[in-house]
Amino acid sequence: MPPYYGVRRRRLILFLLLSVLALGVLTQQLRTADRRGIGWIGTAAEAGLAPLVAGLSRVSDAVAQSWSFLHEIGTLRSENARLADEAARLREENARLRPAAQENARLRALLAFKEQQPFRTVAARVIGRDPSHWFSTILVDRGASEGVVRNDPVVTSDGLVGHVIETAGSWARVLLVLDPRSAVGVLADRSREAGVAEGQGRSVLRVKYLSRDADIQPGDQVVTSGLGQIYPRGLPVGAVVGVSRTGGDLFQEATLRPAADLDHLEDLLIIIRGAPGQLPR
Amino acid sequence: MRYALYFVASAAALVIQITWLSRLSPGGAVVDPLLVIVMTVGLLHGPEEGALVGAGAGLLQDLMTGAPLGLGMLAGVCVGFCAGLGERSIYVENVWLPGLAAWVLTLVRNAVWIGAAHLAGLLTASPLDVARITLLAACYNGLVAVPIFQGLRRLDAALVQLYERPRSM
Repeated sequence: MPPYYGVRRRRLILFLLLSVLALGVLTQQLRTADRRGIGWIGTAAEAGLAPLVAGLSRVSDAVAQSWSFLHEIGTLRSENARLADEAARLREENARLRPAAQENARLRALLAFKEQQPFRTVAARVIGRDPSHWFSTILVDRGASEGVVRNDPVVTSDGLVGHVIETAGSWARVLLVLDPRSAVGVLADRSREAGVAEGQGRSVLRVKYLSRDADIQPGDQVVTSGLGQIYPRGLPVGAVVGVSRTGGDLFQEATLRPAADLDHLEDLLIIIRGAPGQLPR
Repeated sequence: MRYALYFVASAAALVIQITWLSRLSPGGAVVDPLLVIVMTVGLLHGPEEGALVGAGAGLLQDLMTGAPLGLGMLAGVCVGFCAGLGERSIYVENVWLPGLAAWVLTLVRNAVWIGAAHLAGLLTASPLDVARITLLAACYNGLVAVPIFQGLRRLDAALVQLYERPRSM
């Protein structure tokens, strides 16, 4: 056999081996309950890079603030000379204080929400997010050292965000309710109709298994049902924006817009569960 | 030594992608510098090294981004292998080659990644959305590929010269 064919065969075998290995890893973890199990090697790799992620995240915050400051200074050129100094001073002050005021408002809302809750919570900040368009996970700067464990629910003052799927020293990964791997037991607040809200990889959720004759209308608020082992009862999930009923179906489905602004998450609360397996009530 | 460079470059690219680039996602697509790194290895060193580095970089990406493990690895293997097939048949001195190659390889990557996710029942995205995001990502990757490829290529050549070429006495 000419050497050229030997090289081609070797390449092909390596390619097939690696592809089979990748498919093996993929199918193996699809058997786990939440379709993601990374083991201790994965946790160690993440733990190694997480501080770097947190550091760069802070740097980017500072750069964004500086950019905002420079941008606002630039707009002053069009104003008249007499007011220029005064406007610069005011805008500078504004640029400096606005993020603080926004953060203050967010934290006040979170604090008010926290005080209403009967369970212990930990405030966390988003330090990284999944860059792919299709899956929705975020990294937060609180982890096992603060008592955060897998399956802890995560919320903002507006409503449910998701739950923790991985945690280590000072970071945790949160699976958002929008992720296709997420499913939340829910209740329509008005009709008390139960269903399951599933992520679609888009900005809306789909509520399945609503009984065919249930009275569900656009605008209805939906909250967690407390069924299952992750979310406590009564957390706002979102509002119904559409209902679909077709002739032959046993169930009807609803489309839900999440209550929390999941595209602009910054500060969150992680609900800390009590003993393992025990839901906060 | 080269592999250490690839690992450090991949880890750095990934951290930047998670923290900075993911905030800048015009149209929903994000620049993927990791793909350019795997492409560079494939184009410079052939399909075997391309596939191996692609597998490692893809797995690291799966670990750090929260995507199901194996998806990025499979896509990385295909990207590295495909890039490597052009090792001897493509004129790498051409300035625009990296941009074009990254554009094409982004289509390959997304086809494999999204196809596997669909087959595993993990995605229910509409074909139109898939096409839009894939084309946008291909354009972004094509743009960043030129400087990343040139920089990595110079570093790579220096390391080959230093550690892998037999020294004349």
